[in-house]
Formats: sequence, structure tokens, C-alpha cells
Amino acid sequence: MTLPDLSVDLGRGLVLPNPVGLASGTAGYGFELRELIDLDRLGALFTKGTTLHPREGNPPPRVAEVRGGMLNAIGLNNPGVEHVASAYAPEFSRWSIPVVVNVAGGNVEDYLECLDRLERAEGLAGYELNISCPNIANGLDFGRDPSAAGRLVAAARARTGRHLMVKLSPNVTDIAAVARAVEEAGADSVSAVNTYVGMKIHRGIRAPVLPGRGTGGLSGPVIKPLALAAVAQVRQAVRIPVVGVGGIADAGDALEFLIAGADAVQVGTATFVNPAASLEILDGLTEIATRAGVRRLGELRGPDRPGVPPAGIEPASTG
Amino acid sequence: MIGPLSDLGRARDETGEVVAVEALEGGMVEITARLPRLATTARPGEFAQLRAWAGVDPLLRRPFSVAWTAGELCSFVLEAVGAGTRLLVALRPGDPLQALGPLGNGFQLDPAPGRAVIVSGGLGCAPFPLLVRELRRGGCAEVIVMSGAATASRLYPAERFRRGDDGVRVVEATDDGTRGRQGLVTELVAGVCDEATAVYACGPNPMLAALAQTLQRLSHPPRRAEVSLEAPMGCGFGTCLGCALPAAGSGWFLCCRRGPVMEVSQVDWPGLLALPPAHVA
Repeated sequence: MTLPDLSVDLGRGLVLPNPVGLASGTAGYGFELRELIDLDRLGALFTKGTTLHPREGNPPPRVAEVRGGMLNAIGLNNPGVEHVASAYAPEFSRWSIPVVVNVAGGNVEDYLECLDRLERAEGLAGYELNISCPNIANGLDFGRDPSAAGRLVAAARARTGRHLMVKLSPNVTDIAAVARAVEEAGADSVSAVNTYVGMKIHRGIRAPVLPGRGTGGLSGPVIKPLALAAVAQVRQAVRIPVVGVGGIADAGDALEFLIAGADAVQVGTATFVNPAASLEILDGLTEIATRAGVRRLGELRGPDRPGVPPAGIEPASTG
Repeated sequence: MIGPLSDLGRARDETGEVVAVEALEGGMVEITARLPRLATTARPGEFAQLRAWAGVDPLLRRPFSVAWTAGELCSFVLEAVGAGTRLLVALRPGDPLQALGPLGNGFQLDPAPGRAVIVSGGLGCAPFPLLVRELRRGGCAEVIVMSGAATASRLYPAERFRRGDDGVRVVEATDDGTRGRQGLVTELVAGVCDEATAVYACGPNPMLAALAQTLQRLSHPPRRAEVSLEAPMGCGFGTCLGCALPAAGSGWFLCCRRGPVMEVSQVDWPGLLALPPAHVA
């Protein structure tokens, strides 16, 4: 029995060896997880959101657990683009895992300056534009407004020949409109979705657990049905590849995102619970594909006959 | 100056069998499990991320200091304060326990101090049985445990700090005077400190802040003073950036990678005391 080909061509030179990546903000820049797991087996590493200047992040508490998920308000704590380009990128070029740098900013100029600095670094597989971080002032503006998102992406497109992915915010009225706008502006792919705005209340102090506005980004299994719906909507709206992310905890979850229309997936919060979660999901997907007898990943998406899943695929998950 | 990042190279994820769950007075529970890898690699003050349930509620693991090791066995001291700890204290012998560790930076034992003063407040006892043993093995002649709690039932049993080593002195204090000296345990520290002393502390933040202040006023401060801190943690290995605590000077440090053990001078104590109450584990 030959192993199925799980590679995913996302376009403009970004070919993932397999569809399982690590989501931005849950894997740092790879250095910690590299000590714990065989990182190079994975499809891609999407780095922590990187900004023009270093950021210390928000005051604690920064995380709060909720039923089936967690809230975070980290505040884009990162060492800044100069450090990433000069100290981290040379390391990335020695790794076989493709490293996609997630870029965040408060205005168009910040993003472009970030990209310019990263363009001079080798070892990067592409960029994921974070137009949707809910934890910094103005961070949502690009993600909410299709024309603003389009202008940002068009400007970024003019600066780089590398793969340009755009991470979409789910905290919008019409995610499909934003997806179409960034596709038209030249994005090579989109990832969907970032965290949902949420809040946890501390009953004792009669106030939110998280400081400031009291809100944070909700992630984990609790958002999976929401993320699946967003991925399906985005899939209908654009022709470019879609990377699905949101609450994926096992291979069955990943399969559901592929069925919803994703070409690849990112594993996020599950890594906090189990640093090897992404590898287990990759192994599980490989087993599913092998048992289903498919040659390529995309074939997992459609049933052999209407309503009849291919052999070896569980008809539905309980989660 | 903030210390080095912890070594993640020794950390492994291992599942072992619970062999004993001992209920102590006052709600504290000591859980012992067969975790051979952790038992042979953990150093005093390091912690493990524990999980003993399937499913997604609770979702995250819970961090606990390694309290004791013996052969293949590892012990943790905890109490039920939230959903995760309630499930952990309900474990029975034979149940599986998953542990990722050792994690974090532990206590500095090298070079061995002439005298070690351990300041323990309530559940802050957790890292100290192992520290006491390793200090004595490292040649520390005098180990004094200052064990404090609100009331007698909240004191970790003195014998569990000593574990058969009669050379270890345990001095107790309670806020209400129900056992030992009445008053704060930190008030006892000044009388036993000199330049040859190392101080190790763990307990509620107000106790640690009071200790920091006491030490600052000493004319002969200890050669080393370290505290073990806690913070709400997402991952425990430095990728979620959730466990930030205020650093002396400015900014934050990650409790899981720079700590949980910190030099007293590295912590912004007023900043730590000003933090809102964290959600319970």
C-alpha cells in the first residue's frame, strides 16, 4: 500500500508537505515546540503575530479558561520584526518545516515596513497578514472593512513576490465580502478564522476576568462549529486556497474542515493541551486517507457516491 | 536582570498510574503516581502540567510543583479550588495521570548554602519536601522550614517536610495562634538570616511580598533569596505567552519559562499585589 500524497500547493511557491500547520499565536516562532516535538514533520509553522516594533504585551491576567475553550488577551507580545528577520529567520532556513511569518500592524505603513524588512531575510516561506487581531487598538479595522482590507493587501502585494495569505476575522457581518476583497487585491490564500471576541466574568469581583475592555479572543473546541461555517462561507466566496482553523483537536476535526472546503488546516489551542496534538492529527489524517484509499488529500472531501462516505471515514463526529 | 529561560529539553509527556491519594488535614491532598521519567529528571521547584480527564471541559492542563520523588514515583500536593483540581483530588489508585514535565526553572542549589531557610505559606509547601531533601544531599548542614498558615489545619504536616530527616527543623506559625507561634511566618525569618543563608519561599503573593520587604530591610541580607510564583497558564512551555507576571523595572516575564522560581529582586512586588484575582484552576 502506498501512502497518499498529502502535500498542498497553496500557490506562489508555497507548497506544504502536508495539510497540518501550527496556528499563529500558539507556537511562538517554533523554538519551544522544537524542543518538545518533531516540528519538521508538520506542514507549516505560522509564527506569532509580528509587529514593526517589539511589544511587551498586555498586563495579566492574559488567559482565562472557559467551557470548552479559552480566552486570550496577549496583546501581540513579540520581539519585533528586526529581531525576527535577523535572529530567527536564519534559524528557519535550517529547518525543513515551511515558516510563514504572521505580520500585524496598526496601519498600512507598519505592515509595509514589516514586509520590507522580512523581504531582506531568507528562510521564509511566506506571510500571513493578521488583519484581525482583536487585542490591540485598531487591530480590527482592516478585518472589518472589505475595502480597507483590499487596500492593505494590494499594497502588500506590490511589496512581495512571496506567498501572501490573509487571516480573516470572524468578528464581521460578512466574512465572504472581506474574503473576496482580499482575493481581488492579490492575496494568494486566506486562513479562516481568527479568534472570536469573548468575555469571562468573575462573579466574585463582579467584573471581567481579563483586564482592559474585559474581552479576549475565544479559541478551542467551543468555536469549531462557528469556524466550520465561516470556512464554508469563505470557500463559496473565493477561488484561492482556504486554510481552516478554529478548535481543531483531532484528525476527525481536521477532516471536517477539509470537507467544509479547507485545503489545509492549522492547529492552535490543542497544542497548549498537548504539544504533540498537531503530529497526532497529521498521523490520524494520514491513516484516514490511507484507509479510504485516496491518492490525494482533496479526494477525501467528496464522498464516492452522494450521501455515502468512502470506506474508513466515520460518517459524523460526536463533537 | 531576569534569569535564563528554562530548559525544555528534559520535558516529556508521560502517562502513569496513580498509586496513592492521601487526604491531609484542611483540604490538602497529596497525589503519588508512577511517572518514571519525571521522577528521575525533576529538580526542586520545577513543575509538571497535569491532566487526568478526557474531553474538553476542563480543557487546559493544570500546573503543579513536583513535591517529592522516590524511584519511579512522583508526588504533587494540591487542593480542590476549581474544576480541574476537583477532578485531580478525586483520583483513585489505578487511575491514569498525564504529566508533561519537568517544566520551568527550579531553585538554585549550587553552591550549597551553609544554611537554608524555607518559608512556606499554606499550599505553598508544594515544592519543599523535594527541595529539603536535595539541599541536604547537596551538603547543606542546616535546613529550617518556617511553615505558616491561617490556622492549624492549613499547615502542611511538619513530618512531610522532613520525611525522616531529623536534621531538618520545622518552625510553625499560624495567623490565629491555633498552632505554633501566633503571627506571620515572615516575621520569623529576620532572626535566622545572615550572609551564609539562602532563603526559598512559596505561598500567597501577599506573604511573598512581605518577605521581600523584610529581606530588603536586613542589615545582613541572605546571599540568595528565591520565590516560587504562580500564574494562570495556558501551555506551561512558553508558546501561549499567557502567564506573564510583572518584572522589576518594567515589563513582564513568563512564569512558565523564566520562573516559576525567581530571585526576589526580579519581581515587581507592588505590581504583583495589584493584579486582579486570577480565575481558579
